[in-house]
Amino acid sequence: MLKDITFGQYFDTKSIVHSLDPRIKILLLILQIVFIFITKNIYALLLAFLFVLLSVIFTKVPIKIYLKNFKAILPIIIFTALINLFYTNEGKELFGFWKLTLTTGGIYKAFYFALRIVLLIAISSVLTYTTTPNDLTDAIERLLSPLKILGLKNAVHTLAMMMTIALRFIPTLVEETQKIMNAQKARGADFENGRLKEKINALIPILIPLLISSVRRAYELAEAMECRCYSVNGDRQRMKILKCSAKDLFAFLFCLIFCLGIAILNYLF
Amino acid sequence: MQPILEVKNLTHTYDESTPFSFDAVNDVSFSVFQGEIIGIIGHTGSGKSTLVQHLNGLIKPSSGKILYNGTDIWEKPKEIKKIRSEIGLVFQYPEYQLFEETVYKDIAFGPKNMGLDGEELDKRIRDICSLLEINNEYLDKSPFDLSGGEKRRIAIAGVMAMNPKVIIFDEPIAGLDPIGRKSVIKMIEDYRKRYNATVIIISHNMEDMAQLADKLLVMNKGKLIKFDTVANVFGDDQTLKSIGLNVPIVTKVFSNLKEKGFPVSKKIFTIEDAVSYLLELKERGEHFA
Repeated sequence: MLKDITFGQYFDTKSIVHSLDPRIKILLLILQIVFIFITKNIYALLLAFLFVLLSVIFTKVPIKIYLKNFKAILPIIIFTALINLFYTNEGKELFGFWKLTLTTGGIYKAFYFALRIVLLIAISSVLTYTTTPNDLTDAIERLLSPLKILGLKNAVHTLAMMMTIALRFIPTLVEETQKIMNAQKARGADFENGRLKEKINALIPILIPLLISSVRRAYELAEAMECRCYSVNGDRQRMKILKCSAKDLFAFLFCLIFCLGIAILNYLF
Repeated sequence: MQPILEVKNLTHTYDESTPFSFDAVNDVSFSVFQGEIIGIIGHTGSGKSTLVQHLNGLIKPSSGKILYNGTDIWEKPKEIKKIRSEIGLVFQYPEYQLFEETVYKDIAFGPKNMGLDGEELDKRIRDICSLLEINNEYLDKSPFDLSGGEKRRIAIAGVMAMNPKVIIFDEPIAGLDPIGRKSVIKMIEDYRKRYNATVIIISHNMEDMAQLADKLLVMNKGKLIKFDTVANVFGDDQTLKSIGLNVPIVTKVFSNLKEKGFPVSKKIFTIEDAVSYLLELKERGEHFA
């Protein structure tokens, strides 16, 4: 159940995507998301689909793992599709009852928006699956470094440190939740059956211990960091210096072709 | 005699059909009889915790069976809750699972989930508290105001209040001070005596194992290496050494004495045994410099 959530995890399959500069990966992700959003017609979206599929294959992470992701957000996809299916009044009317009408335009739109969500999730997963949390926050800190000129130096570093810690603790908290759930199950707690109110009540024995242990962990971590003289002020050197290489240039060109393709298809149809 | 718990060819594979797949438990079979105390020893990551979580149905085996009183615990998946009340499991650091406002309510959580209420529930809690020497004044306190050792005792009482026939402990004394250790071990012994319960304990502390357990089960890399009496397992220190485990210190002392030529022939596993054995030697008038 919980272990099915693969979003935000890192899979070390050592592909070419893994070896790209994380800064480039973040910038390209933003570029791709923008272009997936501005697709105007199904042809452009299908091109985006092809491109995302290629990126997914390049990561060498099994497709199964991507699919697991969609299981979690399936309700959102279905909801979006249904809304679009019945609230679009374009094209030929197929049948209607009460206030709802089903039109060919509705079917087209439902498919279009569902596919768009799938693509956005998949392309975001490409980034998180292939980049370690540390690389990711390092890259964000570097990308935000222009803000330092505005006197926000500490703010940038604090933000990056907060993100590093948050990302670092996602797996820990998932594991902890699983442990607490098992412990309460061993005491006869039931999370699967019962009505909604019972199900919500059943969460209390998980949430309270989880909250307490998070606070405890935060204290411990803060103390450990202070023991090592951590402070947000002060200049520090980096152990790993990010460098762009020829691969990054190729990735950039690859994305550029995709963006051009979408722009052309948007214009043509 | 029919074993109360029987594990047959149990295998558990984590992350099946992904690049990370590995066998946490690999083809393990053993039987436990009523009233026995079984100790499980093995290195971190040897599959001990995964193994015991199968015994009360928290994890479903990838293959193999667990029989409780002769019936497969997964025969009727809907009745797994009942199995969990008959086979109690106390997790590592159980104090992290406390959540209620008062100690009384927290101990009541398990029995309540079993369907007890009213006077029956109250009697059950009073009974277990008097058995485990948990003072009445504790019951109205918040569990979060207690010390670490006291929290541990309350959490263990919460599982014992369900009156399980088999009770499993994952590292029950880890991280406790000597007084805390003693009181937890006493709880386990008192509970077992009162209900003639079967006890399974995972521990890294060989001294406590030698003192408590009847039989030891040795795990290494998901496989069962040895399942035998304490004397036979600690007697074969070569096997233990080869997987990086130790015998109790007093056993080591005596085997070193023997190597140095002292007239100690018996294998000793606990301090108490050592004392009585030395006194015996003295009475027989053997010289023991």
